[in-house]
Amino acid sequence: MKYKWITILFVFSMSIFLGGCWSSRELSDLAITTALGIDKHEEGFRVTAQVMNPGEIAGDQLSSRVPVSTYSENGKTIFEALRRLTQSTPRKLYLSHIRMVVFGQELAEAGLAPALDFISRDHEMRTDFSISVAKDMRAEDLLNVLTPLEKSPANKIVSSLRTSQNNWAPTKVVTLDELIATLSSKSKEPVLTGLYITGDPDTGSSLENVETIHPPTQLHVDNIGVFHNDQLVGWLNESESKGFNYITDNITNTVGWVECDKEGTVSLEITKTNTELSGYQEDKKPKIVIDVKSEANIAEISCTIDINDEKTIQDIEKKIEKKLVDIVNGSIEKAQELNSDIFGFGEVLGRFEPKRWQTWGKNWQEEFINLEIVVNTDMKIIRTGTTTDSFVNDIKKNKNEDE
Amino acid sequence: MVKLSKLIKGNKNKRKAVENISSEHDKKLDKTLKENLAAIKATVGNSYDIVIREINIGSNTSIKAAVLYTDGLVDKNIVNDFIMHTLMIDIREAKTGQVISNENELFALIKNSSLTSVEVNEVTTYKAIFEQLLSGDTIVLLDGFSKGFGIGSRGWQDRGVQEPSSQQVVRGPKDAFSETLKTNTALIRRRIKDPDLWMETQKIGKRTNTDVAIAYINGIVSEEIVKEVKQRLNKIDIDAILESGYIEELIQDETYTPFPVMYNSERPDSICAGLLEGKVAILVDGTPFVLLVPALFIDFFQSSEDYYQRSDISSAIRLLRFFCFFLALVTPSAYIALTTFHQEMIPTELLISIAAQREGVPFPALVEALIMEVTFEILREAGIRLPRAVGSAISIVGTLILGQAAVEAGIVSSTMVIVVSLTAISSFVSPTYNMAISVRMLRFIFIILAGTFGLFGIILGLIIMVLHLTSLRSFGIPYLSPMAPLSISDQKDALIRMPLWMQNRRPKLINQNDKQRANTEEPRPTR
Repeated sequence: MKYKWITILFVFSMSIFLGGCWSSRELSDLAITTALGIDKHEEGFRVTAQVMNPGEIAGDQLSSRVPVSTYSENGKTIFEALRRLTQSTPRKLYLSHIRMVVFGQELAEAGLAPALDFISRDHEMRTDFSISVAKDMRAEDLLNVLTPLEKSPANKIVSSLRTSQNNWAPTKVVTLDELIATLSSKSKEPVLTGLYITGDPDTGSSLENVETIHPPTQLHVDNIGVFHNDQLVGWLNESESKGFNYITDNITNTVGWVECDKEGTVSLEITKTNTELSGYQEDKKPKIVIDVKSEANIAEISCTIDINDEKTIQDIEKKIEKKLVDIVNGSIEKAQELNSDIFGFGEVLGRFEPKRWQTWGKNWQEEFINLEIVVNTDMKIIRTGTTTDSFVNDIKKNKNEDE
Repeated sequence: MVKLSKLIKGNKNKRKAVENISSEHDKKLDKTLKENLAAIKATVGNSYDIVIREINIGSNTSIKAAVLYTDGLVDKNIVNDFIMHTLMIDIREAKTGQVISNENELFALIKNSSLTSVEVNEVTTYKAIFEQLLSGDTIVLLDGFSKGFGIGSRGWQDRGVQEPSSQQVVRGPKDAFSETLKTNTALIRRRIKDPDLWMETQKIGKRTNTDVAIAYINGIVSEEIVKEVKQRLNKIDIDAILESGYIEELIQDETYTPFPVMYNSERPDSICAGLLEGKVAILVDGTPFVLLVPALFIDFFQSSEDYYQRSDISSAIRLLRFFCFFLALVTPSAYIALTTFHQEMIPTELLISIAAQREGVPFPALVEALIMEVTFEILREAGIRLPRAVGSAISIVGTLILGQAAVEAGIVSSTMVIVVSLTAISSFVSPTYNMAISVRMLRFIFIILAGTFGLFGIILGLIIMVLHLTSLRSFGIPYLSPMAPLSISDQKDALIRMPLWMQNRRPKLINQNDKQRANTEEPRPTR
């Protein structure tokens, strides 16, 4: 009896394998796509896919072929365009490893929403890629640039976005979840970092570009683009972008400088920043209080000051605090001018004053423009670097003696 | 289907008991020496290694006698000094003539006063004669008596106590069991000088008459397990036992399992450790591998050295072994699943690097893995069976030609070579060979599962494997204990090894009787 059951089990278990490698894909059948560019087109969309050539990136023998290639195709919808791409790509596009999606400026100005649905719906795409806008250009041209150091241009962009966000501050890595959350939120408007190229796009797309020590065509990460609903309405400049990141508590490390009393500057490395937003009601009007607490190290001194003196340090602290207020205010003014609550002040008010927010929220556009905002900053200088007195002082003293 | 099952099933009813060869010799000895010798000669077919020496005992009225032994199995010094010498020279001084009329007196005289050997017993049947004769004892037959003497004179060429060939340790005893049962029991007895260490022997195998001993420490061992072992041993009806593997296969709980349910070792220290935990050892004459039951899954991941090195280091190494077991089981299948089904799970850089290597490889990952794994198994098997001098040639062929050249030729990717080598090395980490070979087989099942279902298949396989493991029993003890059923107190010597002074009690499930094994406090400086 036991054997009978074993036989029956055996026969049934054979049928399991009839499914045979269902939905398996060999690596050599995949075109690993690392970046997707989406532009507006008369027909609908023009989709550009940047596909890796793995053998050129990590293979044993490198030939002089390009490490990535781009394929573009038009379509009424993005999905259609992508599938039409199979006519020109040798393998099926594999979208799981997308590092970034770039929207052309034209499309961003017209509205992102129609393009975003596919990206969020497609099961193959992970949601950890960053989204950017090609500033004053088409995404297609942006993806046609070869970069030195990083063989995959998409990797280059993402890593320079990340490093500049972490060390310099006026950029922001926006992922799909975040973008969709802000897009669908009434009390917060989305932002996206801009990208652009300098130099001739044609040389950028050939190997020549990476054969010189200073590539003639280069990819750059720009500042933050402001959206109203899903439409791009304007760009912040560097200082405004930094202010945006101060307000949204998105600063890990950045640089600031102040003028000395005499000629020269003091540069500071801001190592730790914590921003708290709170909302109140004052005279039936909403009011936002921004508290920025920062810690900084002195990084560079090019004037004659005595940093052993506590007063000097306090002086610098005060100056940088004042400057910080200016930066933050500048950013807010710009946003008010563009009529876009990118900081999520509405959210803050909704949290602090949920009842009154119901009335303010109905007319948030106008309220935002006239919003009263108080900025408090508190800067502490913790360390002064590995030297106390700058030798610049000695040089200057010598100069004076010579005269 | 019915036909197929019938084919597999065979015809059970035809089973018969193994022919009993010894039964016809069960009859008693004759009175005359001539008849007895003739009968013995006829039975052994005049085999040249059965030596029969006919002598006369006593000076005047001599009695005819015969000394029989098997050449090569006896210690000739014993035969010469204590048997031949006493019978032919010493006995003359005794007055044989006076007592010859009284049969019993003469017999007692020879037995008690003349034979200076230690082991002397009377034999009355042919069966007993052959049993002793063919085991290396010397038989003395007297004319006119229907009984003789069996004198212990076993002593054959022996390999001696050597270093173990498997389960090597850096620190720990370097002696190993050998092929002689007596040497093996002595090795155990030397370590456990306890009157409660009981050893019982029996002969199994109708033709080989192999001595099989079971050893246990009375009082610690659970009587049910001893009873169970004896019962299962008694059920064996076979013509030959040539190695303990025969016994293992004939008494194990479950045949249809890739996992070993009996532990074997050629290290006396690990067998003794088992006995002290309340397990039963089964020693088989003719093999250095001693069986230990009940065996648990975790036993196969423990080396005796774990107890000789520091507990923290041993614990880490034990965890490493479990990790390697897992690696050896699923590394190739995980690689296949990830590269053919779940490319999104691989970090982009790694994916590109793997994709670059796979470029130009003509086979799908599954086929590639099977090729490499089978090649490796061939190499391994060849390495074991080949004469030692050729062994190194195999490794050169294996590494250079199959590894490097295959990658350079683009038949396999170098990642696959890394995966296969990692698997191979991981499977060698297992301190017991029989667990390592079961993993070896399961790995292929996992490869097929991963090739057809991806990670889903691997998880499916793991679930089935764990279910199967939990269903296994070794002599009544759940195979996965102390994990399932969970016993918190037994965890002190399972995945990790706690310091010895914390292990004051024996494993719960095996031991019902004498649970307290130590009462040592944490060592501290006294001042």
